[in-house]
Amino acid sequence: MNPYLLIVLLTSLGLGTALTLSSTHWLLAWLGLEVGTLAILPLMAQRHHPRATEAATKYFIVQATAAATLLFAAFNNAWLQGHSDIQHMSHPLFTSMITLALLLKLGLAPMHTWMPQVIQGVSLNTGLIVSTWQKIAPFILLLQIKQIHPPLLTIIGLASILIGGWGGLNQTQLRKILAYSSIAHLGWILLILQHSTALATYALLIYIFMTSATFITLKKCKATTINMLTTTWTKAPTITLVAPLMLLSLGGLPPLSGFAPKWFILQELTQLNFIPHASIAAMAALLSLSYYLRLSYSITLSLSPNNLPECLQWRVNYPISTPLSSALPAALALTLFLLPLTPSALTLII
Amino acid sequence: MPSLHIILTTSFIITLVILISPVFTSILYKSLNRNWHTHHIKTAVKMAFFTSLLPLFLHHHTGTELTITNLHWMNIMTFDINTSFKLDHLSITFVPIALYVTWAILEFASWYMKSDPNINQFFKFLLIFLIAMVTLVTANNMFQLFIGWEGVGIMSFLLIGWWWARADANTAALQAVLYKGVGDVGLIFTLGWMATNLNSWEMQQMYITAKSLDMNAPLIGLILAATGKSAQFGLHPWLPSAMEGPTPVSALLHSSTMVVAGIFLLVRLSPLMQDNPFALTTCLILGALTTLFTTICALTQNDIKKIIAFSTSSQSGLMMVTIGLNQPYLAFLHICTHAFFKAMLFLCSGVIIHALNNEQDIRKMGGLLYLIPTTTSCLTIGSLALMGTPFLAGFFSKDAIIEALNNSYLNAWALALTLLATSLTAAYSLRMIFFVNMNFPRFPALSPINENIKSITNPLKRLAWGTILAGDLMTCAVLPPKPPMLSMPPYIKLTALVITILGLTIALELALFTNKQRPYMPKQYFYFSTMLGYYPTIMHRFFPYTFLKLSQTIGTMTIDQTWLEKTGPKTITSLNLSLATTTSNIQKGMMKTFLSLFFTTLMIIILLNYY
Repeated sequence: MNPYLLIVLLTSLGLGTALTLSSTHWLLAWLGLEVGTLAILPLMAQRHHPRATEAATKYFIVQATAAATLLFAAFNNAWLQGHSDIQHMSHPLFTSMITLALLLKLGLAPMHTWMPQVIQGVSLNTGLIVSTWQKIAPFILLLQIKQIHPPLLTIIGLASILIGGWGGLNQTQLRKILAYSSIAHLGWILLILQHSTALATYALLIYIFMTSATFITLKKCKATTINMLTTTWTKAPTITLVAPLMLLSLGGLPPLSGFAPKWFILQELTQLNFIPHASIAAMAALLSLSYYLRLSYSITLSLSPNNLPECLQWRVNYPISTPLSSALPAALALTLFLLPLTPSALTLII
Repeated sequence: MPSLHIILTTSFIITLVILISPVFTSILYKSLNRNWHTHHIKTAVKMAFFTSLLPLFLHHHTGTELTITNLHWMNIMTFDINTSFKLDHLSITFVPIALYVTWAILEFASWYMKSDPNINQFFKFLLIFLIAMVTLVTANNMFQLFIGWEGVGIMSFLLIGWWWARADANTAALQAVLYKGVGDVGLIFTLGWMATNLNSWEMQQMYITAKSLDMNAPLIGLILAATGKSAQFGLHPWLPSAMEGPTPVSALLHSSTMVVAGIFLLVRLSPLMQDNPFALTTCLILGALTTLFTTICALTQNDIKKIIAFSTSSQSGLMMVTIGLNQPYLAFLHICTHAFFKAMLFLCSGVIIHALNNEQDIRKMGGLLYLIPTTTSCLTIGSLALMGTPFLAGFFSKDAIIEALNNSYLNAWALALTLLATSLTAAYSLRMIFFVNMNFPRFPALSPINENIKSITNPLKRLAWGTILAGDLMTCAVLPPKPPMLSMPPYIKLTALVITILGLTIALELALFTNKQRPYMPKQYFYFSTMLGYYPTIMHRFFPYTFLKLSQTIGTMTIDQTWLEKTGPKTITSLNLSLATTTSNIQKGMMKTFLSLFFTTLMIIILLNYY
């Protein structure tokens, strides 16, 4: 893509999220969201093949619907209440409508069906942006809304975790798998949102690191299906070594950093006596873990049937350098080693 | 005589030692020559018999009975187990009879099993059986009796399955073990009950301490043990099947000694039973049922050994009836006399089988009266004794039993069954004699008929002397402990005789039909008898099927299928698979899906908001 265009689009993306993050009025929040949506659309459709076009179209329709609902509810609330402060919304109906709109934007169950289709249609880099950056703005808005009906968030959160688990089991396309994993992680975040915003933020942060590391790794391997992952050992043996750890961190296994959010969320839920929620969430995490294990199995733990001479690495000095490849070490380090730093990390957020 | 007890003790111990010594010599000497069995075992039994006559005569002369307690084996606090031998009237009389019969059978078996390469082992088995039987009979405590009981059971298993390459022999041996095992449950229950309630397994102590207790439970256990061992109805099919063993085995085990072990147990423990009307009635009814049922089964048998086997079962039922009449002495008398003629019947059948080249079907015998006269004469004598012909051995015991039955105030139905069985005994005995001895031969011409061998005729003659004289000798020698009813109307006195003659006459009349054309009688009437009352058909199929099916249900379906497939791993797998497929199949690429889901959720939330 034309570099000038790229700069403009990326800057607009950043601007949109920054606008939303710094707003107290609903109109400005909506404005930021819309700017972000519009900025990413050309990025999504830059390849011009039908899949990308379709993904861009669907993404636009979804985000537009959500934004329209958001605006409608915000104006109704302003009319009834007299002000448009984000943090002082009190009408329950419109609060729920706004919540649902934001959840649609985030791609949570039962409104998740657009996520796999969109992320499958775009390239891995754009998918990375959709999965990570675009989640920040709606999340911040959700944080600021008080008095959300608690069962709503709980049910949608648990449903997302379950659907993220079950949906990913039947997939061979890596981007769809990552879409379902994002649904599941956002479910975890939603579960704890109403009880502890710090933990929700921390969870989102760790999720962003982990997903970034995964997307960048996949970009380096140029793999979009599970079958294409199996030749990673020839292209980048170091990645072959580290990839299972990264995927297990996504699955939430100690001593990797993905364990920390899950751990603290379960602890918080248990302390608040939400035992069934905690149990269901913990058991549904196993479903996601199974497909992460399948991926790590394909990358590292198995070798396709071949004979002895082929066991040597046959692509040497392969220049793999993508624009984002410099971010991979940072992302990987944050994915793997953050667990001991959790207490200090939490104090940073609180 | 002051040293009477020493003589008695010593002669009994010498008898035992003579019996046991060939077993040890067979262990110590590696290779046994071909005639070891004759030289050692048969001679040992013969010597033991003569030695055991000394206690018998002393006992008959002076009435001495004694108990030898040798060894304090073990104890559990106050509960002692010793090895002790009780030489009372029962055991002193039974041991010489058993040894006499065994001597005859061993001499016969040295001819019968001559072509068997393992004949030494065979004789050793028979000897070990005899030792176990003597242990059982002379036991003064239940533990020793149980040792003898199990010993005879094991040896019976080994000997029935002597020709172990034959599948029928193996199943028959297994059948014997299983049926007797059911009886053993009763015996072990009784042992346990006595250990816990009477605190002793010694007979003397049991007799005294049981006076005041309710003895229903242990007595039922004992009756169950006797049912298993003596083939009473319910646990009887093993006895006809046990005819798969060689004829000496049938003669020794399944006619004279082992099947009477159950009855002997009840006789030995009769002081416990004599005050318990429930147990006595059980014995009475069980015995009557057994005797009639097996007699009916014996009427249509065509195998000569099976006829004699059923007649054994029938006589054992008669002994059980006697115990039910509270006449243990008469039962014991019948045990002793029955041993002689039944062993002789089996030995005769063995001679006939070998003479006709292993033909056991009576429809293929005939006219043997002229060909093997000694054997057939002994067959006739044995059958007459079985029927209760006056003044042969069977008469003294059987007639006394029938008289006691007629004079008692007990169950008339049991009486009727027993009388019917007595007349039918005459009928099947006549049938056997008719088919074997009379008319013209129905076997192939070149049969190796030969009885001019000392090993055959001497045992038969000895047993024939025993059959003729034993009843008289035993009745004259010892007064019965319970006084018999001596005065009764003539028709009561002659009941047994009249019934027997009636059965005999009818059977003779029927025998005249065999060579005339008569209208064909439908076979349906015979099916009950030929199928042995359908008992083996039902029982041998129903119970194994039920238990195997139940175990399959529990083992595979309840445990494996339920826990592993329906509630465990496989369910989780299939459930998750279907859910995963459903979840991923929602994506059809249509926008309608997420938009409609969004609006539906929105509507639901809005509606819920107003509640």
